Amino acid sequence: MLSGLEGDGQAHAALLSALVPILRSFYRRRVPGGGDFLDDIEDLVQETLIAVHSRRDSYDRTRPFTVWLFAIARYKLIDNLRRCRAMEPVEDLLDILVAEGFEDATLARMDLKRLLEILPAKQAKAIWDTKIDGLSVAEAANSSRISASDLKISVHRGLRTLVARIRGGQ
Amino acid sequence: MRRTEELIRQLAMDVKPVRSHAIGWRIAVGILGGGAISLLLLIAVFGIRPDLHEALRDFSFWVRSLYTVSLGIGAMFVTASLARPDNVRAHWLWLLVVPVLLLTGIGIGEMANVPLSNWQSLWLGRSWKVCPWRILMLSAPIFAGMLWAFRRFAPTRLPLAGAAAGLTAGAWSATLYGLYCQEESAIFVLTWFTLGMLLAALLGAFLGRRLLRW
Repeated sequence: MLSGLEGDGQAHAALLSALVPILRSFYRRRVPGGGDFLDDIEDLVQETLIAVHSRRDSYDRTRPFTVWLFAIARYKLIDNLRRCRAMEPVEDLLDILVAEGFEDATLARMDLKRLLEILPAKQAKAIWDTKIDGLSVAEAANSSRISASDLKISVHRGLRTLVARIRGGQ
Repeated sequence: MRRTEELIRQLAMDVKPVRSHAIGWRIAVGILGGGAISLLLLIAVFGIRPDLHEALRDFSFWVRSLYTVSLGIGAMFVTASLARPDNVRAHWLWLLVVPVLLLTGIGIGEMANVPLSNWQSLWLGRSWKVCPWRILMLSAPIFAGMLWAFRRFAPTRLPLAGAAAGLTAGAWSATLYGLYCQEESAIFVLTWFTLGMLLAALLGAFLGRRLLRW
């Protein structure tokens, strides 16, 4: 996003492409009837991309990008619902509200990724596999091609570094 | 899907750099552009008060100007905060209370110094019936400048953003009107100038719901 703001067209295109899957799942969970209206979802995704592009002046570089993105996506969704309110039964709102947890999960995943970047790759992968993807120690060790005890030590050391970093307030 | 990729390719062909304080810049340009037209309108319709030279040495002229300018700057900050989609509340709004309270203090001091029988002329002056409407009229070009600025913004609270933009336009239009208006008393400015700005804010809230959609 930042390179895009400086006028780097390629970085901008890469950002927009990366947003497409995120926005698709964002809308798929929220648009009433989900998968039946792929065209509607694609329209919403495209409208959001256009807004991200043409209203990028409104992004504050010091703030989290995802919060800005989802604020735009949510506005587009509400605007869309309002436009066809005549046809939308009210109880569909419930589906939208229920899906709210998705945004937090995405945010948390992106934050986690950034946090894990401070660790050596081996420790980061060990933590990601066992604690987030939920593999067993044996499976994770197998996929990283290290011994089970080595994996456990990596997880332990990585977590200790993270805890120290978080306590340190960074 | 094919169409989305095509769209991204088109969008990426037109990537102009964005300044780091783009919102502030655009609002300032919108106000200056609209303000220039308002100033021409003021000169054409009302003219500038002939005794402006003497007024510049006058305490009441500066009180009035400081009042409208500080409200104009404060309302600009509120508007800028509402231009971002991730801001739900109007930040800085409480700051606008400060100039109002200060002017109220000055107004009370003024009234304490004149006999009761003069209070009405102090309050109504000679132009109370037209003053708020003139400020509202002069705010229109500035509000149009704000609408232009908002074309790149992403407000999510449209009536609130419209009200903030209207108040900004009203405050700067009141500043310009101060170049013509010869009313001196603080209580007059507090009532009728403020009323003009509030009318602009109200109209802005009403128009914002439609015109600020994106």
